[in-house]
Amino acid sequence: MEKMYGYAGKILRINLTNKTTENVPITDYVPKYIGGRSIANKIFWDEVPAGIKAFDPENKLIYMTGPTTATGIPSGGRTVFTSISPNSLPEQYSWSGMGGWFGSELKFAGYDGIIIEGAAEEPTRIFIENDKVEFLSADDVWGQYVHETQEMLEEIHGKDVKSFVIGPAGENLIRIASITTANDNAAAKSGFGAVMGSKKLKAVTVRGTGTIVPADIDHLLELRKTMNTPPMRLNPVLHMDKCEAGPNIQLPVEGGLKQTQVSCSFGCNQHCNRMFVDVKSGTSFKKKNRVEKCVGIFAMDFTENCGWMPNQTFITEKNHDAPCKTLSGDMDPPDMTDEHAAELFKWRPADTVNFWKGDFDKGNVMMDLCNQYGIDKWDVTVWLFPWLSMGQQEGVFEDIDFGMPIDVESEEFVRYILDMITYRKGYYGNLLAEGMARAIRVMGKEKFGDTIYHGRYSNCIPGLQLDIPISLETAWGGSFHWQGRGYQSAIDIAGWLPASLELMSSPRDMQTVAHFHATWDYYEAVKDDPYHNRLVPQEAIECENRAEVKDSITSCEWQAPDHYWPEMECEMYETATGFKMSLDELNEMAVRSKLLMRAIHIRNFGRDRDLEVNAVFPGLTYPDSQGITTSWEDWNDVVDLYYEERGWDKKTGWPTRECYEKVGLKEVADELETIGKLPM
Amino acid sequence: MAKKRYVVQYPEDVSMCAGCNSCEVVCALLHDGVVSPKQRRIFVERDTVMFMHKIHTCRQCGVCYNKCPKKDTALCVDENGIYYINRDECIGCGLCVKACPFTPKRIQMDSSEPKPKAIKCDLCRTRPEGPACMEFCQVKCLGFSDEPVPEPEVKKRGGLF
Repeated sequence: MEKMYGYAGKILRINLTNKTTENVPITDYVPKYIGGRSIANKIFWDEVPAGIKAFDPENKLIYMTGPTTATGIPSGGRTVFTSISPNSLPEQYSWSGMGGWFGSELKFAGYDGIIIEGAAEEPTRIFIENDKVEFLSADDVWGQYVHETQEMLEEIHGKDVKSFVIGPAGENLIRIASITTANDNAAAKSGFGAVMGSKKLKAVTVRGTGTIVPADIDHLLELRKTMNTPPMRLNPVLHMDKCEAGPNIQLPVEGGLKQTQVSCSFGCNQHCNRMFVDVKSGTSFKKKNRVEKCVGIFAMDFTENCGWMPNQTFITEKNHDAPCKTLSGDMDPPDMTDEHAAELFKWRPADTVNFWKGDFDKGNVMMDLCNQYGIDKWDVTVWLFPWLSMGQQEGVFEDIDFGMPIDVESEEFVRYILDMITYRKGYYGNLLAEGMARAIRVMGKEKFGDTIYHGRYSNCIPGLQLDIPISLETAWGGSFHWQGRGYQSAIDIAGWLPASLELMSSPRDMQTVAHFHATWDYYEAVKDDPYHNRLVPQEAIECENRAEVKDSITSCEWQAPDHYWPEMECEMYETATGFKMSLDELNEMAVRSKLLMRAIHIRNFGRDRDLEVNAVFPGLTYPDSQGITTSWEDWNDVVDLYYEERGWDKKTGWPTRECYEKVGLKEVADELETIGKLPM
Repeated sequence: MAKKRYVVQYPEDVSMCAGCNSCEVVCALLHDGVVSPKQRRIFVERDTVMFMHKIHTCRQCGVCYNKCPKKDTALCVDENGIYYINRDECIGCGLCVKACPFTPKRIQMDSSEPKPKAIKCDLCRTRPEGPACMEFCQVKCLGFSDEPVPEPEVKKRGGLF
């Protein structure tokens, strides 16, 4: 096959049951499906029929890079897994993104992705070295923590190999288990670590010595300097006496702390991840360096939840910094000549929640244990422990014996509860290992989920108590994220309503790959009646489509899209591959990818309007920081507008034949019609 | 004697390597038009767990030059003391690689072509902007060995966290 620009040329199929491999030409999918999630969706649609559960050998774990991966185009190091999610409630096809250096190494070995199918009989790990693929016993690393596993694999195969691995949580089929690679990069959403565990697959290790050739090197070098204008400044390890544990929290640290910034993936031109240097470990007496993004910081101090200012969501030409620069502390100073500046930078304070007081060491131990066990920090930080705190304060656990008195302020208790869950110890360890949503239903949702916490107060309307339940659950077995409740409640309805629409048509939290962003003009237009303004679903759809793009090209949530450079991803794609891509074509690719996932949900998992409207609505009946709640009628009105804008049938929520055919998916429409899942 | 010029990594308290591999990437792109772990003239030793990445560079010591059977034709030295490969003249004997006293070897064989050729850091000597690794390093943790180490800006800049 002629060498392609950007792509490695083939996908590696690994069958764990038969211990066989096969090379699938990337041209089976490219250019109709450009990479990442779009190709994974097509593979899953073609190969996994209805009736398969997450832990069945017939479930497939698909890992894909994009055409920008390993080219040096900034943020192209991002990659994506897809599979049936054991953490989703109900189980359904989902995805999870991951940075790191594995994806680029895989491409140097000659592969754009991996399809993992079947299940091994004994603990197994895979070693890929260019054309050679070995099925090895994982007896040497089974049971090991995530970091130790990675270190041991480097000792066995050489320091230059790259791996993705699971920890004990994945081995024990914990439904929030993550898959982890270097720099604590984890595919933590969707519980795919447990899918690896169900296949008895501990790790995939790769060494590649080949080349990837981008089509336009001059433009690539230009992109390195223009994509979100990297700061290009020194990045010293800072010696500080306080930890910024949230926008408003300055947590004193005895003896001080050291922090710096690092990149999350191969070839990026930014360094948005915060790294704490020499902090307490959960599994070793040795100090550790630990990488953090946003949510983990609340493990340190959760007296307040996350506040918000409009510029985080609504932007103007004069004031729009990429989130990567917000996180790294490299934001440009606000341009106060902007006529909207006063409103854009008006801080909306967080709620007082009083889950736990500041403790730097305890927070680091909690996060290190999540890293080492291989479990999703998000659910632990903003759901499990807040639930324990609120439930304790409301007295719902009085008859429950976890084996140790609940004390979320105590490092010993943190260690105890995470160990209990990871190793499924006792009745409650085994139960909570099934994930919060499932466990609470078994315990009794009315009491253990819906009991109102009386300790939460708005700081937007001083004195207003916010009746939020002790379980911060939203749809699909996940917890609130930029939805105006829970961890981030101060965001305006003009932001949380479209975020809720994104969640509705998704199998999981979308605010890791489709953080809702729009212009200030949008905000002005919709703020008074967002339920009945088409701009709300239009902008939600724009963000959804851009999410498909970034997971397919691939690029990063923190770098893309740039509202004031909409063709940026077109340029990235063309620079990598040499294929021309207009904005319309990019959008068509995104819609095709979205529709394929929609079709999978409809065919395999019974998705329809009733299911998704009812999944999201209950959370919206609780108040945001300003006391705003949503009525059933208003919610359905905005859902109607969303379906109309998508061109989907309002009664069923199913896309029409015309929708599928417009983006070249006639065969998908045909199949759905044969099973009665096209709108009449 | 003047201090030898080569590329150095600054200490973490001056600038922490972000681990992005940009230096390796732009080096290979500008010299060879590809990205590959085997087409490197600068070497990032990644630290998977502690993230303290070490960058290895050619010290321009000239040991390879002295072992080259086509010294001054295939492996040459310019007026600034920079040792560089004349690719057309390299016979691919590999004696230079054997001679390199460092680990990892700072001079490598490019085996992507039928006749292997040696590759090594030439400080981008013909490039007006200077070494590409330094130009594209987003955290400016690379500098010249014969120039003063910069003063770090120790105060955190603006951001939400």
